[in-house]
Amino acid sequence: MTTLTQAPETSAARETPARRRRRVDRLPYLLLLPCLVIIGVLLLWPLGQVVAMSFFRLNNVRQLRGDREWPWVGFGNYAEILGDPFFLTVLRNTVLFAVANVALTMILGTLVGLLLNRLGKRMATFVASCVMLAWATPALTGTIVWKWMFDDTSGLVTWLFNALPDGLSNALFGRADWTGYGWFNSPLLFFAILTLVVVWHSFPFIAVSVLAGLKSVPSELHEAARVDGAGPWKVFWKVTFPLLRPVFGILVVLSTIWDFKVFTQQFVLAGGTQDRPTFMLSIYSYAEAFSPPPKYGLGAAIAVVLTLILLLVTGIYVRMVLKQEEES
Amino acid sequence: MNRWKRLAPVTAVVASAAMVLAGCGGSGDDEAADNSKLTVWMMGEGSEAQTAFLDGVETEFKKKHPDTDVVVQYIPWLEAPKKFQAALAGGEGPDVTELGNTETQGWADQEALADVTSKFGAWPEGKDILPDLVKNAQLDGKQYGVPWYAGVRALYYRTDWFAEAGVKPPTNWDELVAAAKAVQAKKPGTYGIALPGNSELPFYSFLWGAGGEIATKQGDTWKSGYNTPEAQKAVKFWTELVTVHKVAPPAAAGWNEIDARTQFATGKAAMAFAGSWQGGAIKKDNPEIEKVWGTFPIPGPDGKPAPAFAGGSDIALWKDSKKQDLAWDYLTVLLSKQKDKEFASSLGFFPVYSDLVSGGEYANDKIMAAFATALQNTKLTPLTPKWVEVSRTKTVTQAMNSSVIKGQKTVDKATADAAAEMESILNAK
Repeated sequence: MTTLTQAPETSAARETPARRRRRVDRLPYLLLLPCLVIIGVLLLWPLGQVVAMSFFRLNNVRQLRGDREWPWVGFGNYAEILGDPFFLTVLRNTVLFAVANVALTMILGTLVGLLLNRLGKRMATFVASCVMLAWATPALTGTIVWKWMFDDTSGLVTWLFNALPDGLSNALFGRADWTGYGWFNSPLLFFAILTLVVVWHSFPFIAVSVLAGLKSVPSELHEAARVDGAGPWKVFWKVTFPLLRPVFGILVVLSTIWDFKVFTQQFVLAGGTQDRPTFMLSIYSYAEAFSPPPKYGLGAAIAVVLTLILLLVTGIYVRMVLKQEEES
Repeated sequence: MNRWKRLAPVTAVVASAAMVLAGCGGSGDDEAADNSKLTVWMMGEGSEAQTAFLDGVETEFKKKHPDTDVVVQYIPWLEAPKKFQAALAGGEGPDVTELGNTETQGWADQEALADVTSKFGAWPEGKDILPDLVKNAQLDGKQYGVPWYAGVRALYYRTDWFAEAGVKPPTNWDELVAAAKAVQAKKPGTYGIALPGNSELPFYSFLWGAGGEIATKQGDTWKSGYNTPEAQKAVKFWTELVTVHKVAPPAAAGWNEIDARTQFATGKAAMAFAGSWQGGAIKKDNPEIEKVWGTFPIPGPDGKPAPAFAGGSDIALWKDSKKQDLAWDYLTVLLSKQKDKEFASSLGFFPVYSDLVSGGEYANDKIMAAFATALQNTKLTPLTPKWVEVSRTKTVTQAMNSSVIKGQKTVDKATADAAAEMESILNAK
């Protein structure tokens, strides 16, 4: 820290010709400009629009075109959302789903990462490519295939459960005939399947990132710990985890962001925006804004709330990670 | 100097990117009264028969407007709302469009469609169109669309399975359950009836058959009919097909009409609710089925056919179009009695003219006869632009029925909740 704050003072004190220095400084910004323009037009401008829209009552497409007035409602949209008991259901769904998914993704991803680190070269390549296939599958296609697997008449899962011995199936689940079973009927079962799909999709990234982190840790540390008599559990928590803490920090933040705004998988599995008891914030925002009759203002307000929650959660987490680092 | 020279390409790229981006917003608006082209949006995938038919319409239309080319674009039904919103937001829409008759009021409310009240009033053939369908295309007393074809739902059934089980097409609710049970017992591994638990329109026939109403307007406020004993009787009957009689599986709670129809087409169900126009899709799934299928009207509880929802399509003029008169001329050619009859029968729909459907035209058709009977007694969903929110967005009726089938709510609780939600939406300011 100290060196950083001192650096400009010392260089200023050195009295380099000011003209020359400014020239050199401007170039990087100019080079950044094209990127900034694109980000500005494609990201910041729409983002600003969404925030602005959340303060107006926008129920007609023509308002978006500027043909009609935008009646200002202040925090009216926010009051309407927060006052609706349905919002609590949605928020609860979102938070519980995100917590469960981040935890499961991190655990599974880390385990697979550790496994990849221990495997021989050929096997590691094989496992890694299999795992990366899941990561490379587009969310839409992947989810459609999962949905087919849970089809109530000809799905693979239905077939598997039907293949169980009747006695066992009856003892475990109280039914032997699974044809026609409504896999997506209860919200809990729906979320379980959604979790399966989302975790399947996101753990490969964690696994590969953890593997990359592990490769950068000198193997002597692990060997030394093992020689001292530490078991795998202890080695992980005493050696690997502290060393990879920054990596885990970033991965948790990224996973949190991704799992909070899951949309595609839910939209496909639920077959659109009909299954309201399983709504989470992003699909709720979409449904309010775009299902007829459109309520763009309300949808925008929900999106802003989602963004604020995300900023809050990740902000707190990043602070936590930074603090721990300072301490250690 | 040197440095700026080096930067020149960068600046050029940035500048041109900015120009391109700025250019996106500009253009348009400069084709005021260019009558060389008329854009028509049609729903669906566009079968060969439909394309050939529309070519014929264009030929007819060109007799009057030889310099106008008609450009037909097909839009999948489920894409339509997004396409309409985008067209409305961007200002580039069609001149004439087809749309589902349940959606006309909603889009009229969004100011997407032109008011054709006076044009429609001055068009002689329009007087013979079935009044329920005409009313369904109105908002606040103004006409925003003209009915094109009509469709009602009935029950398709397997004649061979019914014969094996020794049952006849049912004419009341008890017989419906008995027939479903008898066939299911005779044909293990199949369902007596493919119940679309996540669809509302077939259910309304049971609601209306029991003497219930969806909602009625009393003065300025809408009152839901769902907490009446009649409605509860209908919900009880509909859901007990799964929960008590077990002639449909629990998964039916999530089935829409297409899912249910597929069960029938693939030989997994003995009966299914479907419209006359869906016969083609059923045959496509299973060409053999033509030999062993029949239809009967959805029965009421007491032996009379239940009222059916008057479904179908409307043709509307796009409000932003600058060629309203040209578009109307196209509409009147497309909707002329002769063309309408030709088109409707090729698709398995009915023409919208009362004199064309009331005659004995369909009495001897094995499939169409039941639909023609159902068409004699139709009803509508509540006439308000807010209905679409109850029906499509909040899916109040579907959720009510599904929650009972899934065992999450009792009939009393589900109907009371649905009534309250419906009233809060319909009466919102």
